[in-house]
Amino acid sequence: MATLSLEHIGKKYPNGFEGVKDFNLEIADKEFIIFVGPSGCGKSTTLRMIAGLETITSGTLKIDGRVVNDVEPKDRDIAMVFQNYALYPHMTVYDNMAFPMKLRKASPEDIDKAVHEAARILDLEKLLDRKPSALSGGQRQRVAMGRAIVRNPKVYLMDEPLSNLDAKLRVQMRAEISKLHDRLGATIIYVTHDQTEAMTLGTRIVVIKDGVMQQVDTPNKLYSEPVNLFVAGFIGSPQMNFIDAKVGEAAGKVTLTFGHNTITLPDSKGSVLKKKGYVGKVVTFGIRPEDVVEQHEHDKGRTLSEAIDATVTVYELLGSEAMIYGEVDGGQISAHIEATNPVRTGDKIKVAFDADKIHVFDKDTELAIVH
Amino acid sequence: MASLAKSKVGAGRDKTFYAILIPILILFVAFNTFPLITGFLYSFTDSKGYGDFNIVGLQNYIDMFSDVRIGNSYLFTFKVAVVATILTNVISLMLALGLNSKIKFKSAFRALYFVPQILGALVVGYVFSYFFTYIVPAITGTGSILASPEWAWVAIVVVLVWQSCAQTTIIYITGLQSVPEDVYEAGSLDGATGWNQFRYLTFPLIMPSVTTNMVLVMKNMLMVFDQIVAMTSGGPAQSTESISYLIYNNGLSGGQFGYQCANAVIFFILIAVISILQTRFLNSREEQL
Repeated sequence: MATLSLEHIGKKYPNGFEGVKDFNLEIADKEFIIFVGPSGCGKSTTLRMIAGLETITSGTLKIDGRVVNDVEPKDRDIAMVFQNYALYPHMTVYDNMAFPMKLRKASPEDIDKAVHEAARILDLEKLLDRKPSALSGGQRQRVAMGRAIVRNPKVYLMDEPLSNLDAKLRVQMRAEISKLHDRLGATIIYVTHDQTEAMTLGTRIVVIKDGVMQQVDTPNKLYSEPVNLFVAGFIGSPQMNFIDAKVGEAAGKVTLTFGHNTITLPDSKGSVLKKKGYVGKVVTFGIRPEDVVEQHEHDKGRTLSEAIDATVTVYELLGSEAMIYGEVDGGQISAHIEATNPVRTGDKIKVAFDADKIHVFDKDTELAIVH
Repeated sequence: MASLAKSKVGAGRDKTFYAILIPILILFVAFNTFPLITGFLYSFTDSKGYGDFNIVGLQNYIDMFSDVRIGNSYLFTFKVAVVATILTNVISLMLALGLNSKIKFKSAFRALYFVPQILGALVVGYVFSYFFTYIVPAITGTGSILASPEWAWVAIVVVLVWQSCAQTTIIYITGLQSVPEDVYEAGSLDGATGWNQFRYLTFPLIMPSVTTNMVLVMKNMLMVFDQIVAMTSGGPAQSTESISYLIYNNGLSGGQFGYQCANAVIFFILIAVISILQTRFLNSREEQL
């Protein structure tokens, strides 16, 4: 297995467009790194540069300390799983998986052993004689995975490998990939635009937007301490609530005012805002739906802010719980509630925020001020 | 009511379709099917193409097999067809690989290589006749190969290949474009580059185009006619007499109408059988995509 080092990696196209800008990342052995971001953010381009399918226009890429910028894809000792699987349509499942070893002139016995081992792990043994056209999406996906495993490469690259599968299969394969990572002890770089995949699979997540790396962190930290508005909004589903509010000070406490509503911040957060000179200025504060507490809900020992009035505009039952979307003076708010909660569309309710979970962002730079 | 209105519309549309189809069908039967059947019937006669004739049964077919001139025309035609088919396909595939790569002026090159397709075979034949008679000897200082009974067939092959490469190349380009890019990308990571890429990925994946081209080109080559008319008229010493040319020449102006009709029937069956065998053989090698 291997370490990777991306130093000031950039991709500039002949027409001047910069797909990836100054990308820096050290990947440790056996890490499961996720590149996540909206479509066109440069995550796939970065992955393809690591694979050698795109040229790197600036910066240095090292695998195990060796610079590989100009090394052919086949000599980088990496395997890739493509979004559309990219199986060889004219070869059987067995030949698809054996192909990389065959080209490396491995002995037929070694090939046979490796293919059957991979087929066993991925439950493909009964399908070895089939052509890809006779397989379902999930089976093709597993063959693509098998072709990568047979190689026993230093690094696995996966480009949105689950995006063509239906929702149920995706959840199943997600668990399979996670197990595979544990079993192989492999270094994996995985591209997705699905933040659930990112959160569940990654040991570290790289959030990318417009070709620029926004934050690299563990899933937990990314969720609880997003560095800016983009990361805060992108990670987490349903999305974090954002409301513009004016920072004030009353009786020694720092407050946030939006519309006719004023809430008091805990001292730990208030003091930071005060110290950084935000009193009197407008900021954006964020609160996740699960940290918004409706009046019928149990407060579970959380420190709640002052209650504010809201009108429910949409009610969505999700099964064991429900989501409500509502209007408050000065903004909009969504909240998780219990399925047993009697609140419905049109109701006038009161909500409070878990004061310790309020995030405050600078309105201009969009950077986080305090979590 | 709704269904009634719908069926009225359907009937109107059917009429239009029949109006399109029937005139073409009449023309096809009159100028293709009818002559085919009459030709078949004449093959059992000693008709000269004019005047009286007698029914001779299978005599024409029996005589054909001991006719040296017909035998030679079959040998010449098959020799030319096999060599030209192989050369055309090899050259076209190489051209297609070049024209499908990421090069500058690709569209201009493609247009250029398509020009032979839009020229008439007779025109091309006459141009090459001039080329082989005057230009080549001037450069090499030897005589024209069109005058050599041993080598005139090579000139015919050159012209046939030059002209048929255009369409064949287009079909190969289409085939190459149907190979998904990510298959090549996966291949480049697995180690399939250069010759290995062609051998293990490109060629098997364009096998349907290979089948189409082999069958079409072989059929066209077996029916070679215009180029012979323009370049050699079957000479020198009947060394370039193709089957089609012999049927035309001796059937229409040599007083052997009935006899050459029998030749045409055999030739027709032969081409049909070859095309079917070729398709069968190549289809079995085509991959189930």
